[in-house]
Amino acid sequence: MKNLMKYEFRKTLFTKLMVLGLTAMAQIAFLIGLYGDNERVLAAGVVLLTLLAFGGITVIGLASVVILHRDMNTKQSYMLFMTPNSSYKILGAKMLENGLSILLCGAFFFALGALDITLLFGRQGLLNELWNTLREMLQTIDSRITLDYPTMLALTANILATWISTVSCAYLGVVISTALFSGRRWSGFVSFLIILALLWLTGFIQLKGTAPIEAVRTVFLVDAAIAMGLSAVMYLVTVQIMERKLSV
Amino acid sequence: MDFEPNRPIWLQVMNALETDIVTGRRPPGDKLPGGRELALHYSINPNTAARVYQELEKAGLCETRRGLGTYVTEDQTRIRALRMELAQNAARDFLNRMETLGLSPAEISALLWKQEE
Amino acid sequence: MLESRNIVKKFLNKTAVDGISVKLSPGRVYAMLGPNGSGKTTWMKMAAGLIKPTSGEMLYEGTPVGIESRKHITYMSTEPYFYTWMTAGDAGRYYADFFEDFHMDSYLSLLERMELRPEMKTRSLSSGMMAKMKIAVTLARDARVYLLDEPFNGIDLLARDEIRQTILERAGEDKTMMLSSHLVEEMEAIADTALFIKDGRLAEEADLEALRTERGLSMADRYREIYGHTEVRA
Repeated sequence: MKNLMKYEFRKTLFTKLMVLGLTAMAQIAFLIGLYGDNERVLAAGVVLLTLLAFGGITVIGLASVVILHRDMNTKQSYMLFMTPNSSYKILGAKMLENGLSILLCGAFFFALGALDITLLFGRQGLLNELWNTLREMLQTIDSRITLDYPTMLALTANILATWISTVSCAYLGVVISTALFSGRRWSGFVSFLIILALLWLTGFIQLKGTAPIEAVRTVFLVDAAIAMGLSAVMYLVTVQIMERKLSV
Repeated sequence: MDFEPNRPIWLQVMNALETDIVTGRRPPGDKLPGGRELALHYSINPNTAARVYQELEKAGLCETRRGLGTYVTEDQTRIRALRMELAQNAARDFLNRMETLGLSPAEISALLWKQEE
Repeated sequence: MLESRNIVKKFLNKTAVDGISVKLSPGRVYAMLGPNGSGKTTWMKMAAGLIKPTSGEMLYEGTPVGIESRKHITYMSTEPYFYTWMTAGDAGRYYADFFEDFHMDSYLSLLERMELRPEMKTRSLSSGMMAKMKIAVTLARDARVYLLDEPFNGIDLLARDEIRQTILERAGEDKTMMLSSHLVEEMEAIADTALFIKDGRLAEEADLEALRTERGLSMADRYREIYGHTEVRA
């Protein structure tokens, strides 16, 4: 399992280094803007960092779906499936590695965000304006969101968990496409429809599950927990299909 | 060694070893390579190599000493007989060929005398 | 050791393997023969556990092939399959990470004999070099069953001798070797049993020395008889 995860990490290394490199550049812009009193550079830095926080997590998840597709549909599939590892381990390593990457990436951006906001506090003049913009942005997502760290943390956890369950849906879609419809016409399209249906279903379950809850922070956390539970279910279903039907 | 693919390979390797024994390249009492080594030396299947020793032993040309390996026979009479067998085979092949070419025994004999000179 | 029982593999529009039953014994070197598309590769992939049969069974030591059998069966596919970022050395470390029977020292010495270096990138190997690397990494496992699909393809004459030699070095009483190749002549002396596959079925299992003794036929001669002159590839 450790070895499988090591190679999954190696496969996604390039994507991660890209995100990290771009983030470093945006952060430098942010610092230059902040301490050089250049508002335009600062604004560019803030916008880039925000985009990268969401984009980075998105790209890491998507990259892992692309890699799964390659690991099942090209000759490289032999690298995984000739080894004495069950589909439980092979897919498990992928999901764990990816889930951890998404969580670490999220934690990294959360910490970086917290740090940069603290730095902004130090340069008082600029802060209030930005702070208000950020608040307004968040209010458009959900009017109940207040700007405090516990809520932000819960929201981050929620976003990450939901994204992990989305990636799990995509994994299942890819496996269905390869194992059940391999080579058939429309298999790609059918898998896409299946992924959409799964996403709708998980969204629906999350919505129903959190409906009776009032407190916004609890909603975020319960929602996240449901998303993780759904990911686990998705994993089990995917592995079953692989064990029974997959030919590479 | 190039083999004729339509003749038993064990026989071809056996013939090669017989020639070695008669010519003294493998003298009486000489230790022969193990089955695996023989297979690698001639690039042949290990089972074929094992067959070679079985047949050589059956023909009394080598003997297996338990735990030590296979050795060329020290029986000089047997080796002299082998020389004659090989000579007879070669002669038979030669005569067959001459016959195909349409030479009479007298012509063949004359040809041989001429070659000697 | 390895046995297929009436095994069938159907793809969307064709039947690749149509009921092959064969039992492989240890200590033998098998040559699997047949024209392109006769089902050799599909059979091997089922034995390696990469493809699941439509019906029938593929058994290793009496149980269906799967995770356990992969520890003892080493398979070399015709196509390259390494990750693009790998060097020859990385590929060796990958095998070392996943196969207990992989020997790094024997891999490195095989690479040297094949005139390859560990720091060479798999992506930029020529087809001949890639073929040699696949052989090296596959034969560096001390497995019970070796399945080599087209081990002589794209390899020059001298390297073919080297490959034949390394295959023979691995052969042993407790091992089963299975080679498939279009280059029938390359296998005449090293194989002892031929499996002729025709249209997804086992047309004949032949003991090669018996074929030579009883009928004066080489493996290539018998191939011509079974498949007809037009399909013979030299």
